[in-house]
Amino acid sequence: MNNYVNNTPNEQLLLVRMLRVMFPHKNFSDGPYEEAAEAVINAANSTPGQALILYNGLRELENSSFSTLDLVAATTYLERIEKSSFFAIVQSSGLVALYNNHDVWKTLGYEGPSFDLGGYLNRGFNDLDWLPEPRITEYEEESDQ
Amino acid sequence: MKKISKDESVVVIVGSGAGGGTMAFELTKAGIPCVVLEAGPHLKHEDYVNDEWEAFGQMAWLDSRSTSGSWRVAKNFPELPTWIVKAVGGTTTHWAGAVPRFKDYEFKALSTYGKLDGANLLDWPITLDELAPYYDLAEIAVGATHRHGRPPLPANNNYKVFANGAKGVKYKHYATGPYATNAEPYDERPGSIQDGFNFQGDKNGSKWSTLVREIPRAIKTGLCELRPESQAVQITHDAAGNADAVLYLDAEGNLHRQAAKAVCVAGNSIESPRLLLLSASSMFPDGLANSSGQVGRNYMRHLTGSVYARFDKPVHMYRGETMAGIIADEQPHDPSRGFVGGYYMETLALGPSFLASFADPGAWGADFTEIMDAYSHTAGMWIVGEDMPQSSNRVTLSSSKRDKWDLPAANVHYDDHKNDLAMRAHAYEKATNLYESVGSTGRQLTPPYPSTHNLGTLRMSANAEDGVLDNYGRAHDVKNLFVSDGSVMTTGASANPTLTIVALAIRQAEYLAKQLKSGEL
Repeated sequence: MNNYVNNTPNEQLLLVRMLRVMFPHKNFSDGPYEEAAEAVINAANSTPGQALILYNGLRELENSSFSTLDLVAATTYLERIEKSSFFAIVQSSGLVALYNNHDVWKTLGYEGPSFDLGGYLNRGFNDLDWLPEPRITEYEEESDQ
Repeated sequence: MKKISKDESVVVIVGSGAGGGTMAFELTKAGIPCVVLEAGPHLKHEDYVNDEWEAFGQMAWLDSRSTSGSWRVAKNFPELPTWIVKAVGGTTTHWAGAVPRFKDYEFKALSTYGKLDGANLLDWPITLDELAPYYDLAEIAVGATHRHGRPPLPANNNYKVFANGAKGVKYKHYATGPYATNAEPYDERPGSIQDGFNFQGDKNGSKWSTLVREIPRAIKTGLCELRPESQAVQITHDAAGNADAVLYLDAEGNLHRQAAKAVCVAGNSIESPRLLLLSASSMFPDGLANSSGQVGRNYMRHLTGSVYARFDKPVHMYRGETMAGIIADEQPHDPSRGFVGGYYMETLALGPSFLASFADPGAWGADFTEIMDAYSHTAGMWIVGEDMPQSSNRVTLSSSKRDKWDLPAANVHYDDHKNDLAMRAHAYEKATNLYESVGSTGRQLTPPYPSTHNLGTLRMSANAEDGVLDNYGRAHDVKNLFVSDGSVMTTGASANPTLTIVALAIRQAEYLAKQLKSGEL
């Protein structure tokens, strides 16, 4: 694969900032955003056309001093470009990578693969205790459930 | 496995899912040799992965397709109209497992609902009474919980919220099934370990699929040859207009010809009409068996939508059987609600990867991260109801897009009918009330995903001018051509379609076997 856009520190910085503004989780560390930024670059590098869109979008972010904007101003900036192909590439491939990240799963409270651990049969599939145990059989007209 | 010569005229079944897999087992059980052409690979339980995107890449039908129309899918997923499986076992390998029967009046949609502007409603050429004995056989085949002595699955966390919410809004018809996954060992399949992975293939083998039951049993009869990675591309016919062979491509794109005594098409409701359209000839210029002009029309995908509700306390909706929770209180036809037909509510859970992509496609910013931050405190449900058949909702051959073999790709056009929109709005409101009754603090109303229930594109009709197939799913125009999947449905009803596909296939196989044995075919 040709690397039309290289994963330089400057591009990382801009993309990480853009992804943080797009998906502003207060309790996510930088790692998942950095990996998502790399995924965006890899996805865009799949064709010259996509790579050019990313390259030009990043140049515009740089020219607008995007990385120095506060969250409100940066959000406003993204709202202005949200219909652009550049935004779409970053949003779609960034989102998939970010929420497929196992550290993110852990932060969100998702436990991931379960089959090798015996499923959840003995690991809390029914441990919710703040509501009464509901009926599991079908309703029978004559009974008063 | 038996080898069948390509020159031997046998029953050729296209597809190995709910319809095709059932046909293969029922016909070989009756002593009739079959070749099953499956477009996808033969994935086994050990191949499946507990990971949403990886499993999607492994199992989903990702061949080139396009979309048009005003449905949200065309905007957010323009190349992915459906979410179905390309592998042995077809979409039964990733279905959830909810198996309610269709209702009596749902087979009489036109008579019950009356004429509706823009809707191409029709009564089915069969009744519930005729299908009922086959529903029994289908429920026994899939091992439906709550039926024929099968015990119910226990309540998982998502169900506890769902059922208590149902009780909170005075619903009565809630239960953990009927559901085609074993609560305890049955029919050589183990009980569920509640691993939470359904849409990714069931590694434990507790869930019914034609991969675990019908296909291996058909092969065991010594009368069935399963050919994976064999994509049917044309059905040919003789001078009299009877189907005589199926042309198919192997994984490398080599073309093969299997002689056919009869053909059963079961490639799901996009590929099945596409195959008939690709089979146009001078005798059938608009596509095979298309004298009615109905091939590909009346595409239905069920009214769907999801509601993800947030709570102050943890739920962990992803633990346990995904759809083992069904509410039927909104299912009956009650036009006073402002629409015809009805809908079920069913528990549903996605992992964070899929929830992020599908909760509100394209969304970003603080409102979106609020949905994700609440992941472990979220309960989810799916809404599945009857959508209206419309002549213009249609599968056609694309004039511009082609698949990797240079054959025209399918275009799927869909516009919501105003009845669909009214029903979805009603369902969102009722689901919101349900979750609020147990303390929901916020909710996401999620639009339909790429379609999992694909129906109606080769519908059965009493009269040949109204549809493609007769009351046994045989083409009005071609006496040895059958369709054995959800394409046959005259209208969509409200229930998940797999059980009905299986029941119809068992009935069709019985009919076809008689025809073959009596020499009529």
